[in-house]
Amino acid sequence: MFNKRFLSPKVSQKISYAILFCATILAIIPVSIIVFIIIKNGASAITWEFLTSMPKDGMRGGGIFPAIIGTLSIVLCAITITLPIGVCAAIYLNEYAKDNLLTRVIKLAIVNLAGVPSVVYGLFGLGIFVMFLQLGVSIVAGALTLSIMELPVIITTARGALSSVPHSFREASLSLGVSRWQTIRHVVLPNALPGILTGAILSIARVSGETAPIMFTAAAFYVPHLPKSAFDQVMALPYHLYIISTQIPNMPRNIIFGTALVLLMMVLSMSLIAIIARIYFRKRRKW
Amino acid sequence: MLDKIRVENLSCFYADPKEKGGKKRVLESLNINVVENEILTIIGPANSGKTTFLRTLNRMNDFDPNYSRKGAIYLGNDNIFNMNMEKLRKRVGMLFAMPIPLPMTIYENIIYAPKRLGVVNKKSEQNEVVEQALRDASLWNEVKDRLNSSAMKLSGGQQQRLCIARILAINPEVILFDEPCSGLDPISTAKVEESMMELRAKYTIVLVTNNVKQASRVGSRTAFFLMGKLVEVDKTGTIFVSPKNKQTEDYITGRFG
Repeated sequence: MFNKRFLSPKVSQKISYAILFCATILAIIPVSIIVFIIIKNGASAITWEFLTSMPKDGMRGGGIFPAIIGTLSIVLCAITITLPIGVCAAIYLNEYAKDNLLTRVIKLAIVNLAGVPSVVYGLFGLGIFVMFLQLGVSIVAGALTLSIMELPVIITTARGALSSVPHSFREASLSLGVSRWQTIRHVVLPNALPGILTGAILSIARVSGETAPIMFTAAAFYVPHLPKSAFDQVMALPYHLYIISTQIPNMPRNIIFGTALVLLMMVLSMSLIAIIARIYFRKRRKW
Repeated sequence: MLDKIRVENLSCFYADPKEKGGKKRVLESLNINVVENEILTIIGPANSGKTTFLRTLNRMNDFDPNYSRKGAIYLGNDNIFNMNMEKLRKRVGMLFAMPIPLPMTIYENIIYAPKRLGVVNKKSEQNEVVEQALRDASLWNEVKDRLNSSAMKLSGGQQQRLCIARILAINPEVILFDEPCSGLDPISTAKVEESMMELRAKYTIVLVTNNVKQASRVGSRTAFFLMGKLVEVDKTGTIFVSPKNKQTEDYITGRFG
């Protein structure tokens, strides 16, 4: 035989298909196992009372209500700070910035900001917000820290959303004597908004599970009441989970897994909202 | 007859991607005038600079960092390069090759620019402006019952007439047409040409077209561009019957381009 090929094309096609398919399956196995274990061990802890009452007996009993409220208030605070700044920066970079050294430096900085480890953000927040600006360990300090962490994500997704609006829309509007800002305000932004919002929801989902950035800046070991102002310390789900699983002896297993389940559900449901929103807006899109 | 637009020694350049700082000349010392209430048609093969010329007339190219120019263009008595860009574009409207309705309703498309420019405010005035613009673009009868449906749902020809109506709503002095029928079927093309002929009474029109026959149908005067230079400009009747230049003759008889 002249052809020294070991396998016929048909067989090699089948083998490569099998390898690629297995690799894909491997990606979903860890997710399913994690979800399965957490649900199996934690589902028994989830009751209405667990979600809505204060912790008791040195956190070995009762509920996790203050931690849920704490996490929600930090992440919502953070996104209200980041979203306007991030969108403005994205508009500047996408619509106005000329391609010069400054712009390139800014873009590089944003990419690098996204690569900073989260614990570094935590230390930075401790240094700047908690100590230097004397905000103390508080919702505000935690929210500011998280907002810096969210910023590169928001800017990047918002820029993507802005540049997905066809260039011809801008030309059509400008050719009618409408100014650049009015064009952005009335044509570009309304059409980029769905993408911007989806990005925002996803980044909320991402930071609500972060422990390191809030560990030094916002989260308290144990506060058995709700925060009264934005300058109070709060309990937060990820930090609470870290505490009860490492610092407290004789912690009932189902409470640990129950807390993890709540955190997981919170994050997943936010991602789900983002996916549904994207489908909804894509259907309504007019071009 | 008054000159509406006077172009003096206009040259346009694009940055040459091959060498740093190098420039490629796409229009060379152009001198041409556009008479009030005429349709000046510009013909020429690809890369002859006709679209660049058109986009210079309302400074749409100014956002392109690779583009530069020298010379002067006068609109009436004002040099357009000294004018505020928004004010210039309000006086010199432009229709693009592909219809570009904005992603909003038909009504909003028409009223969009007048609203932003602060020309109309009251609701009743708005209705009037919309109806008048659509009537002038001979689209009113087709869309009057669905003004609040999306402009994206109109057919190509209707979209292009909507874009004409959108320009008419800001009441410009000059309208630039950049190959407005290149994406349209013959019937839609006939309708757009018909509106052009009607618009001539009120507006000055510059039409760039790849379709030599279209130029002969609608043009009052016709200019032939080749390689960034104006080869010949004359009454459309004259240029199509007895062109002075051999290249013009070759192009309009279809021998090249």
